Amino acid sequence: MSLIKKSQDISPPVLEENRRTPRDRAGLLSQLENDAPDIRRWAALDLVEFPDTAEVLCAQLAQETQTPVREALLTTLIKIGNPIVVNRLIPLLRSEDAALRNLVIEALQQLPEAVAPHMKEMLRDPDADYRIFSINVLDNLKHPQAPAWLQEVVEKDDNINVCAAAVEVLAEVGSAEVIPALSTLPERFDNDPFMEFCVQTAIRRIQGNGNRI
Amino acid sequence: MNSPAAPTISEEEFQKFRDFFYRKTGIYFEENKRYFVDKRLIERIKATDNETFRNYFVMLRFETSGKELQQLINLMTVNETYFFREEYQFTCLVKSVLADILPRKRCGEPIRIWSIPSSSGEEPYSLAIYLLEYWPQVNAYDIELIASDIDTEILKKARQGRYDQRSISHLPAHLLHKHFTTTANGAYQISDDLRNSIDFTQVNITDLNQMRIYRNFDVVFCRNLLIYFDDTSRRIAAEALFNALRPGGFICLGHSESMSRITPLFKIRKFPEAIIYQKPLR
Repeated sequence: MSLIKKSQDISPPVLEENRRTPRDRAGLLSQLENDAPDIRRWAALDLVEFPDTAEVLCAQLAQETQTPVREALLTTLIKIGNPIVVNRLIPLLRSEDAALRNLVIEALQQLPEAVAPHMKEMLRDPDADYRIFSINVLDNLKHPQAPAWLQEVVEKDDNINVCAAAVEVLAEVGSAEVIPALSTLPERFDNDPFMEFCVQTAIRRIQGNGNRI
Repeated sequence: MNSPAAPTISEEEFQKFRDFFYRKTGIYFEENKRYFVDKRLIERIKATDNETFRNYFVMLRFETSGKELQQLINLMTVNETYFFREEYQFTCLVKSVLADILPRKRCGEPIRIWSIPSSSGEEPYSLAIYLLEYWPQVNAYDIELIASDIDTEILKKARQGRYDQRSISHLPAHLLHKHFTTTANGAYQISDDLRNSIDFTQVNITDLNQMRIYRNFDVVFCRNLLIYFDDTSRRIAAEALFNALRPGGFICLGHSESMSRITPLFKIRKFPEAIIYQKPLR
């Protein structure tokens, strides 16, 4: 009883893995449709070895209701991270399911190079909500063009909520070049007090007062 | 010629940095940490040959590799380990968590506890000592303690179990006396009984294949590891930890870390001694 030790070596495994079913492509795709969420979840995780299944995984994500399975699908899709994944995830930003949308935003944020070719089109979409979700992607996208895309929103978009979302992100990622565009923004919305507040806050943040070394 | 002016961080810049750093790490700096934060930020601004905070922040924000963010996290966090660090979690283990786990144990089934990253061993040995000293039922159950790290050199040090004064400074004197001997050069050598009670293994938590063998743990201590990962690696590690736990198993993170910010896979359990995360039973 009490503390027991099994092995004497650093490297060998503590336990032998025991898989109940083969993990081949066809078998995993079949398990992705299984009624048991745990089996679907493991299939989703193991399909990372088969990047050509990205389309199926995205389709499953769109219809999956169980959180652990969704999370596994998303982890695998981020790891695959190819253009097919991004092409299939972007339309899911139109989903009525807020949890799914948030997952998609999180995934797209982690795939900056694959997302970049789509961003201009996303920001010009007729649906204002969709444009806001696209700005949410930019909120944590490591791409050098992000400030320029947001500046274009501030200069051209005619929806106050879309512009406010862009201003909020620019407060973090913007530089002095965007200040003129920000300064004229309240006028475009009849000097709306909310927009004025957003813009002033953003400009203060962007300007800072850091000395040069 | 005058030497260049020392850089400063304005209030607005501090707030901008604070928001960004919080989002990336879950660590929030109050105003009274201004000096601490400014000093380290300025150090990194200089080290990266940036002229201003603004330039440095752009680099930090958009750097694809995330290396500078890692450097900064290293500087901003107390990156040290010692015996009984964040002791309230060990107290929670022996007073609350094990009592929650035991009803689900079949007769003769061991309790499995995992320390990752084990670093030089202070955490897993602390767990062993805590269980032996403060859990009244310790002799009624088999307990498997597994300690893992990605670094084989640090694992060798952990297995050796030899520590300096700083490592043992938070240990009560009677426990130090009971479980350690002093070596000729003034180091503290942990007892062979304790050294032989822990399995040390090498693993990369983000490697799905390596992680397949780590299963059926009742409790995982994974403290101050996830904050060093980028978003993708953090998500992969969270999945791996979920896989490693039994249903109903618990995970303890560092005090500044939040699993809820990474994944909804775990639920929060509030015990009198600590708030920790649990894999749902179903």
